[in-house]
Parts: sequence; structure tokens; C-alpha cells
Amino acid sequence: MPAVSLEGIGKKYRISPSRSSLLKEALSFGKVKRSHDFWALQDIDLQVRPGTTLGIMGRNGAGKSTLLRIISGVLQPTTGTVEVNGRLTAIFGLGSGFNPEFTGRENVMLNGLILGIDHKEMLERFDEIAAFAEIGEFMDQPIRTYSSGMRSRLGFAVAVNVDPDILVLDEALSAGDAAFKKRALQRMYDLRDSGTTVLFVSHSMGMVQKFCTDAILLHKGRLVTAGSPQEVAESYKELLENAQQKDNQAGGSDRGLDDMLEREEEEDLEGVGSRNDSAPDNSSRRNAKEAEIQGVQVLDEGGEPVSEVPSGSTVTVRVHARYATAVEDSAIGITLRSKRAGVDVFSINTEAQKTPLGRMQSGEQTMVDYTFELPLQAGTYTVDAAVSVPREDSYLDEAKKASSFKITNVGSEPSAASLVYLPTRVEIHGPDGERERPSRPA
Amino acid sequence: MATHTTSAKKSSAGAFFDALSSFYHQRWLLKYFIQRQVTRSYKRSYLGFAWAFLGPLIWVFFLSLIFSKVIGIRFRVVEGDPTLNFGLFLYCGLLPFLAFSESLNKGINSIKGNAGLVQKVVFPLELLPFTNAITSLIDKFFGLGALLLILLVLEHRWHWTVLLLPLVVVLQLLFILGLTYLMAVVGTYVPDVAEVMRPVIRGMFFATPILWPTGKLPESLAWIVNYNPLAYLVESYRALILYGELPGAQATLYFTLFAVAVFVVGFTVFVRLRPGFADQL
Repeated sequence: MPAVSLEGIGKKYRISPSRSSLLKEALSFGKVKRSHDFWALQDIDLQVRPGTTLGIMGRNGAGKSTLLRIISGVLQPTTGTVEVNGRLTAIFGLGSGFNPEFTGRENVMLNGLILGIDHKEMLERFDEIAAFAEIGEFMDQPIRTYSSGMRSRLGFAVAVNVDPDILVLDEALSAGDAAFKKRALQRMYDLRDSGTTVLFVSHSMGMVQKFCTDAILLHKGRLVTAGSPQEVAESYKELLENAQQKDNQAGGSDRGLDDMLEREEEEDLEGVGSRNDSAPDNSSRRNAKEAEIQGVQVLDEGGEPVSEVPSGSTVTVRVHARYATAVEDSAIGITLRSKRAGVDVFSINTEAQKTPLGRMQSGEQTMVDYTFELPLQAGTYTVDAAVSVPREDSYLDEAKKASSFKITNVGSEPSAASLVYLPTRVEIHGPDGERERPSRPA
Repeated sequence: MATHTTSAKKSSAGAFFDALSSFYHQRWLLKYFIQRQVTRSYKRSYLGFAWAFLGPLIWVFFLSLIFSKVIGIRFRVVEGDPTLNFGLFLYCGLLPFLAFSESLNKGINSIKGNAGLVQKVVFPLELLPFTNAITSLIDKFFGLGALLLILLVLEHRWHWTVLLLPLVVVLQLLFILGLTYLMAVVGTYVPDVAEVMRPVIRGMFFATPILWPTGKLPESLAWIVNYNPLAYLVESYRALILYGELPGAQATLYFTLFAVAVFVVGFTVFVRLRPGFADQL
């Protein structure tokens, strides 16, 4: 079942100088003609499979925003049908729907409810959103006291932290400073890697090529090209060059400006996503899959699969791998990553633990168990798994976010904003050294 | 949940009840919206929410001062203090009228004034006029509280019929809701008509027995009261609160039927035309 399916979509607008001219037209029985029909979109057929990241390119006025609005259900198409399967959240301009008189907290709740998340779920997600937006103590101040950067951070934080199945972004990243942009992009990569379908409009060819699995090009309301980001970026470039040639005939070209624009774009993208890209450069990864991570499970002490464990308990992460060819001296490793903090917490592999796998035969399957304690703070953690050849410093396969689980608090105290929970004993001593309140046993 | 299918061909079967049930699904959102509208006007003042109560008190005070002392008309004199009584009479009639006029005036703008919600997010638009109607009623509840307080101070008792007021309020809500939905549609599609509606709503003030008592109307003009649904509301508010009487049975039946019909028509029209709102802004 496709995540989004469009059939024969068209959107017609009536263009007229004013409403009163429409009246004159009606009264003159067609003798006066001041308005004309304008098709913002025409004959759009599109199937988007779940998990696709689709870049939508095109010049200003090509119909990109109209298309996204029709997909998200804000606008009704004049012709055709739209089918959307899954929870869809859309951002058209950051912070839309915020009320300036109300506090950040109230607005987050309101925004979440508008996006269709129910009240209970929003309460659960609130901390995550607050942490991502980095509003700090201003959370309980009216939004009117916020800087525009804070507003956009908050808006973006709500939209990406409600686990959408389909995320629709209309140039939502153009606001915000470099640090936030980077974090926002990182989050988009995370969403992409966890299987979210992302549809977004971008003028940045670099961004589309780096981030998207598919792309389409709209021109004057029609779908011109659909395919790989590279192909589409090429035809977009052609389109732009054609347009520029026309400009050049009129005035002079300015190569310097183009360079400047391109460089800015590159800077924005630098360092983002590379951590999550399975192939940062070709040398570190061999061509065909010589080995494959087939599954990653998190088990409790009794060996049962779990999705939630209390802080401090012992878990076993089980990795299933299969070798397609014979491999000498490989290692299988896992990495635990805190979703809240966005950092890798813990990494271990068979090589480092001095438990070599030895020579694996072609077609051989193996299962590695890592058992360890979790002295970690509450939150959601993801597990990456990888098969590597340490001697060559190369990866045979890498499974990002192959599994995820939640660590819950012991007791009911709120989670602290730190990573590790060290079993602690707290003693309070009065001046005479008598008063003592032992802490909760760990 | 957000799974949806949109088709150029409009399907209307069941749309009415779908939209009705969305009120339940969206109850938290509705709660936030109502809260936000009720508190909005008081957020930035020093006394805050106390104004919801103080405002009406000041109203009652001035009305009674002007009409009793200065102009010198009195329709209802109770032994003891004759000054405040016309004020109460007037204020009691003013409450249902203000709920009506405020809700409709806000309703005209409810779609246009929320362009952000209409164009930028997928929003259950049927909540907007509903919020307008509810908040203008809630706002009047504070006025009602002030009125009942003054009654207690002046006459040391309440009529038992006050307990029946919620029933009238339910009918009033249906009536106002239906009209507010209609106004929202009109305000969006035909802004010109909206311009006409404002003076019409204001004119209703004089065509309703708020300033004048029904008894003073000549026989030939009785239809003004008989065919005016607002007059029914004003009269029954007064009957239940001030006189301790019941509103007429026949009039109540007619009004009930009328209110339900207005609601069904208004809501249906709104739901049917809702998909086009985003294009109109």
C-alpha cells in the first residue's frame, strides 16, 4: 500500500482582478471577460512508497506548495483523487498556529492537538519536544517574548517529535541558525532512517541529492521528471540554465553570485547526516553485501524480547548475521544511541572483547549475544549493528536503528537531563552528625 | 488516524454525523480553544480573570443609573429600592442578546480570521464557529452570576425557576450555533452579505423587547415579538430569573423546533461547503 497515492490531480484557480469584476461578468452574461482559469496543477499521478524521501523541485510558482497542500488535505483538488495512509504532519511555514499570548508549553500542546496527536500522547512527548527545541526557562513565557528563531525551533520540534508516518515540509528549514539547522537536518535523517516517509520542497540540489531517495520536478503545474535525485537535479539544472539564458539575453550574468549561493548551500550541509549515511565514502565499504545483519533483538534477563526495561537492569542484545562469502577475521559490533541526547552512549564489538569470530564460511549464519547492565537514565535508545573487518577498517554491513527500546525510571521521579545513572547513596548530615536520611536503595 | 482520502467528487453521505462526532474526538483541542478564547481578553490585565465578573457588575450599575435615575423609566418596581430594578430588567434581557450578537459577529470572521489554521494545517474547521458560540455563552455566564448575586443582595432570594435556565440555555446554544455556522459560511463566501448582517444584528436589538416590555407593544405590532426567536429567549430569561414564572408552553415548543432546524441547516451547509474554504482566502 503506498503511503501517498495521487491520481490525475489538478487544481484550478479562477484569476480575476477582484470579486466585483466577477459580479460584473456574471451580470453581463458573458460579454465582459476579465477573469481566466489558471491550472496550478494538472494531471499529476504519483505513488510514494512508505519510507521514501521524496524531494520536490521546481522554480517558484511551479505548484510545489499547492501539491503538498493537496496531499496534506488542506486544499481540495479540482480533479483526481488523493489517498494518504498513515499519520501525516505538515509544516507550511514554521510556527503556524501559534498564539503569541500563550506560553510555549500551551502552544506546544495546542500545536500537537492540531496535528492530530491526542492529549495523553502529547503529555508524554512534551519533555522530548522541549529538549529538542532548547527553549529552556522560556517555555513558560508567552510566545510573544520569543525570538523568531525560538519560534521556529519550537514549531519544528513539535512536528518532528510526534513520530509522523509521513512528514511534509515546505521549505521549513530555511529559518533558524546554522546550529539548529544542523540539528533539524540530523533529525530528518533519523526520521528517514526509522522509515518515515518524507516529502519536502527544496531549492537546494545538494540537499535533495544527499538526502532523498527519489525526486520529482514540477514545472508550470505539470510533473516533468520523476526518478532518482541525480536525474531530477540534472533536469532541474537544465531548466534553470534555460531560464538564466533568457535572463542573460536581457541583462548580464553574474557568476560570482552563483558561486556564493552554492557555497552557502554546501556549508549548511557540511557534517550533517554523514554519521548516519551508511557509506560516507566508497573506500570504507565493499561493493556487494558480503555479510548481512539479519536482525537485532533486545532481550531481558529471562531471554524474552522486551521493549521497555528498568534502569540498571541487565539486557542481552542479540544480533543475527549471515555471511554471503567466506570472510576472514570479521567483527560484529553494536552501538547504543540515546535518542534524547542524540549521542552514542556505548559501543562494543567482538574484536574489542577478544572473542574473535574466526573464519566464516560462505552462507554461514551466526548469532552474537552481548549481555550488559544498563546504568543509564530513562529514555529511548536505539541499537545499531554492524559487521566489519577491523584489519581493513571497512564495513560489510551496517544496520542503523535495527532495534530500539526504552529505559524506564526506577520509582517515579522525573528523569534527569543526564546520560548515566550511577547507583548512589545519599546521606544528609546535620551539624552534630546525627540526622541521616538514607536514599532509596538502587 | 490521519489517514484520509480526498476526492474531487464530494461525498456528503454521513458527513454531517462524521463532523458531529469529530467534536468528541477533538475534545481536548476544543477545550484548549475555548480556554484560549475565554481567557484571551483578560490575559494582559492586572486583575486578570476577575474582569469576567467585574465587567458585568459595572454594566448593571451603569444601566440602572442611567435608565432609572437619569431617564426615569421603571417597569418593575419592587418595594425597598426602586433604583436598580430597571437595570436588572434591562440586563437580564441584554444577556441573551449579547450572547447572540457576539457569537454571530465573531462567526462572520471565524474562517477569515483564522487563515493560518485554514491554509497551513489540517484543522477541524467546524470547531471554530463552535468555539465562538460557546465562548460568548460562557462569557455571559459570568454576567448571569453577577445578576444572580445582585438579586440575592437586593431581594434575598432566588426563584426556583432559575433551575430550569440550563434547559433554555441548551436551546439557545443550538439556535446560536446554527446561525453562527451560517454566518461563518456567508462571511467566507459572500463578504458583502456579512457587511449587511452587522447592522441587521444591531437592529435586532431594537426589535427585541430588551429596552421595552412586551406589554407596552400595540396589538398591531405583536408579530414583532411573536415571530422573533430572540424575543422568546429574552422573555424566558426574565420569566425564569426575575418573575419566577415558566415560559409559555407553545412558544417553547416552537422555539425548540426552530432551534433544532436552524442548527441542522447551519451545520449541514457548513460541512458541505467547508472543503472550499481554503480557496476563498
